[in-house]
Amino acid sequence: MSVETQETEVKERGRRKRRRSPNRPTPSIAVAFLRMDFIEEFSYPMSLVLSELGTVLPVLVSYFIGDLVGESAAVGGDYFTFAVLGLAVSAVLQGALSGFGGNLQRALNRGSLETLLVEPVPWTFLPFAMNLWHTMMGAFEGVIILGMGLLLGAEYLASGWWRFIVLLLLGILACTALGIVSAAILIISKRSKPFLTLYGMAASLLAGAVFSVDQLPSWLQTLSWAIPHTYVINASRAVLMEDPGTFIVPFNLAVIALLVFNVVVLTGGLWLFSRSLEYGRKMGMLSGY
Amino acid sequence: MSNRTPSISVKDLTKVYEPSPTWMKLLVKSNIKSSVVALDGITFEVGPGEICAVVGPNGAGKTTTFRILLGLTTPSGGTATVGGYDAQHESVAVRRMVGWMPGQDVSLLMRLTCIENLRFHGRLQGLKGDDLTSRIHDALAKVDLSHAAEHSVFALSSGMRARLQLARALLHSPSVLILDEPTGAIDPVAAHELLGLIISIVEEERLACMISSHRLEEIEALHSHVVLLDKGRIRYDGDLDELRDLVDREQLEIEFKTDESAQQARKLIDAAGLGESFAVEGTQLTTVLSSAETTTGDVLAALEAVIPDVVHLQEVQRPLRDILADMYRESETE
Repeated sequence: MSVETQETEVKERGRRKRRRSPNRPTPSIAVAFLRMDFIEEFSYPMSLVLSELGTVLPVLVSYFIGDLVGESAAVGGDYFTFAVLGLAVSAVLQGALSGFGGNLQRALNRGSLETLLVEPVPWTFLPFAMNLWHTMMGAFEGVIILGMGLLLGAEYLASGWWRFIVLLLLGILACTALGIVSAAILIISKRSKPFLTLYGMAASLLAGAVFSVDQLPSWLQTLSWAIPHTYVINASRAVLMEDPGTFIVPFNLAVIALLVFNVVVLTGGLWLFSRSLEYGRKMGMLSGY
Repeated sequence: MSNRTPSISVKDLTKVYEPSPTWMKLLVKSNIKSSVVALDGITFEVGPGEICAVVGPNGAGKTTTFRILLGLTTPSGGTATVGGYDAQHESVAVRRMVGWMPGQDVSLLMRLTCIENLRFHGRLQGLKGDDLTSRIHDALAKVDLSHAAEHSVFALSSGMRARLQLARALLHSPSVLILDEPTGAIDPVAAHELLGLIISIVEEERLACMISSHRLEEIEALHSHVVLLDKGRIRYDGDLDELRDLVDREQLEIEFKTDESAQQARKLIDAAGLGESFAVEGTQLTTVLSSAETTTGDVLAALEAVIPDVVHLQEVQRPLRDILADMYRESETE
């Protein structure tokens, strides 16, 4: 047997071995997406700094509104802490909500979506991997908002931190699930922004990020219970504020509601995403604009 | 065609693009008003170490064939297998075996360096650690991009981007290469170099390679198995040289001493039914022999009266584009 033939056979054996190995989502794949987003984001430093500045400005606004509102019972007598918690949680959830859809839309517009879909990564893993960077950035913004609030006089209960983190993790998962639903719509309609914008506006109105849900008419309050933001924001206040105001969502209720929401929407979202990809394959429209 | 077990096997492959259902038109408008047959029962095979050039005009079905093989589109009928895996139902296994080079360099991550681009792709392919690092350096060396390893993609020329795409396609040691118009965005010199590189890699690695290109002189240079597609059907599947033998007729260029001799020669050849597509420019007469059986000797015999005026005679091989244009014209009239 010639050396050339032997080399070819060795190469072929190597290929076969790799083909047999299971195709599992691995941390390495997650790191690959994280690193890609990191490099892309830091390629435009001014844009990054300005957008981060934009997230902390509302804290200052809340500080002055807090002075104006005074010690309203609806917000537990401390509007500033009330608002800072709402803003911080909203920032975290927004990152998780829009990361995947935004990345997918960019890939579609650039024409790189198909290159991604040709990689041997299970398509249902993509929503999580492509959401990591934005979720981390959202968490970073949340920490900055909380820190800035602390500097300006906001008060948080030290005993509530671990429950706050549990709520945030469940909220991030819930928003990731909603992001997957929006991505499923994006695959078919080529635009996910309307869905996310509508949901984002509804969440800012219904969840009471900067005001108490009590202020809403009762029929709107009913709708508030349908979105995960309401549970995360208001239960966070319940665990981190001595007096969370008049609209209280107990921690246990929030956890149960978020768990149910996650099981239903995450399962449904992944199913819908797979179905829309299959439909896109059938119709030959995965790369369409 | 290779007589070894095929790496790519396409059998009775059909794809019909259907118009969108009414509910979908609320989400996005579609230009497809009625069913479009993109592929109509095509069958071919590509073996290891073989290059198969897929040629055809726009809308012939080239991209659809590639997309089905890559699992990006499902067929309406028939089967497509890569390394024995069904492209429709086992697309993850297929994607692991295939190195794909799309025609547009937008598939590269522009802000990332060459190494970062390959690292990203390698990780998604399940490679890591030292193995990934050494493969990246090997792949860059193979396409002669080692010197630009740390350059961002946006700073590379089109030719270098094409080579980086090839490196990406080769990084995970695929057994099949699918190259969709790999030279579409680069200049002829860079294209020539890239094709040379592809030919040597395919031979060395014993890869099954499918390639499409609009530049027919490139396809000709590949001396490969060729599949001619037209309106979703295969017009020819086989060796390019055999295609020439089958359909090509020689073209003759004859130069005479005078314009009159050239004109007279044209009449003589025409009267003998030995040529067609005449062109007379001054003293030069150009004609295509009327059939593959017609020889230059037949023409010279018919030109007996003007033979003393012949200054120069040359047999010219017709460009591939002319042969294919004839074939496609014939199919239009069928």
